[in-house]
Amino acid sequence: MSELERNRVPRLAPGCRLNPAGGAEDLLLIPEGALRLKGPARAIVELCDGQRTLAEIISELQRTYPTAQPARIETEAVALLARLRDRGVLEVA
Amino acid sequence: MKYQPRALIAEITHRCPLHCVYCSNPTEMRRRSDELSTADWISIFQQAAEMGILQLHLTGGEPLARTDLTELVRAARAAQLYSNLITSGAGLDGGRLDELVAAGVDHIQLSFQDSQEGPANEFAGTRSHALKLRMAEIIRRRPVAFTVNMVVHRRNLDRLEEMIAFAEGTGARRLEIANVQYYGWALRNREGLLPTREQLEHSIQVVEAARERLKGKLRIEFVLPDYYAKYPKPCMNGWGHQQLLIDPSGRALPCHAAMVIPGLDFPNARERDLRWIWEESPTFNRFRDESWMPEPCRSCDRRARDFGGCRCQAFLLTGDAAATDPVCTLAPQHSIVEEILERVNGSARPDWVYRVDPA
Repeated sequence: MSELERNRVPRLAPGCRLNPAGGAEDLLLIPEGALRLKGPARAIVELCDGQRTLAEIISELQRTYPTAQPARIETEAVALLARLRDRGVLEVA
Repeated sequence: MKYQPRALIAEITHRCPLHCVYCSNPTEMRRRSDELSTADWISIFQQAAEMGILQLHLTGGEPLARTDLTELVRAARAAQLYSNLITSGAGLDGGRLDELVAAGVDHIQLSFQDSQEGPANEFAGTRSHALKLRMAEIIRRRPVAFTVNMVVHRRNLDRLEEMIAFAEGTGARRLEIANVQYYGWALRNREGLLPTREQLEHSIQVVEAARERLKGKLRIEFVLPDYYAKYPKPCMNGWGHQQLLIDPSGRALPCHAAMVIPGLDFPNARERDLRWIWEESPTFNRFRDESWMPEPCRSCDRRARDFGGCRCQAFLLTGDAAATDPVCTLAPQHSIVEEILERVNGSARPDWVYRVDPA
């Protein structure tokens, strides 16, 4: 469970994708089934486009959620992405 | 809907060039002339997506034996299903794989019978191992999730370490090590396939060590043979709870093996819509809640966790589909399983029979 470095570029692994937006629930479809995404998790995963660095993803989220504490956004986003990486759902270049 | 279906298992054909001794297909297979058309399957996929089903497992037989597979994958993606192709690799090549990937296949699960060519070809009843290796080479280079499935049993479980090392070399990101489950052709060959207790205990240690070593590189799923379990497996996560199988001729079943249970009328997707089949059909409701349960299941605090085990196995071993799964150590008929295990742990292994291909 190593820490994610802020200059790395995460993106979803092959065979992992979000279900279409606007459905009854937000799901990340993976080979074993589906992970249910709660709260801002979908927005976080959507930013993992293979272009943005983790630092850029965090700043983007802080702009999108101006009323939330910036440090908390960072902690939560990093924790979610590290979990997804450890499950093999996210690749980090 | 009280029970939300999540996965559709589409057994699109029973045709297969392999003859594996542990095939889970029914021993009475559907012929090519009985198979559903492309349009039938596409309609089924659309109905499934409308019911909230997320995952489509394209299986068989060998699904690549259908020449319309790419079209089916494209239709599944259009219906917003996640498609998982379960294949032996027979019938694949680079061009066909590119077509499937472009059509939107999300995940490919490639089976191997062994790490060594000789035994692999023996268990498959065909010379298929070298081809599978070539298919792994081309799959790993495509943008698709890649799982290797290795079937284990008495004759290869002692070489599990070698088989895991082999799987690492295929480039897969997931490895499923599946002990044979005793249905269909496998049941006929049970005495030759069930591992000994000693083999099983060793294999559990091997998998634990490999999981630790391969963390972050290769995820390992391990399916144990339930004959050795203390409590039964939560078969299909409950009868009619999450999964729906359509066989090559359109018959809807709650699981792969349900055809063996007498007295059930399996509705056909050619005649009935999927929602009726799921919600209303007597067959899908037959073992769905707890009202069918005998003791000790009825008052067991595990009943919502394992649902009394597998109905098909209960029938195959006791002759009564509504009995407690006899693999459960609490089952009144558990001695049936104990006797089988006693034989398997004592005697020499018998010959086996190979799966045949339907006409």
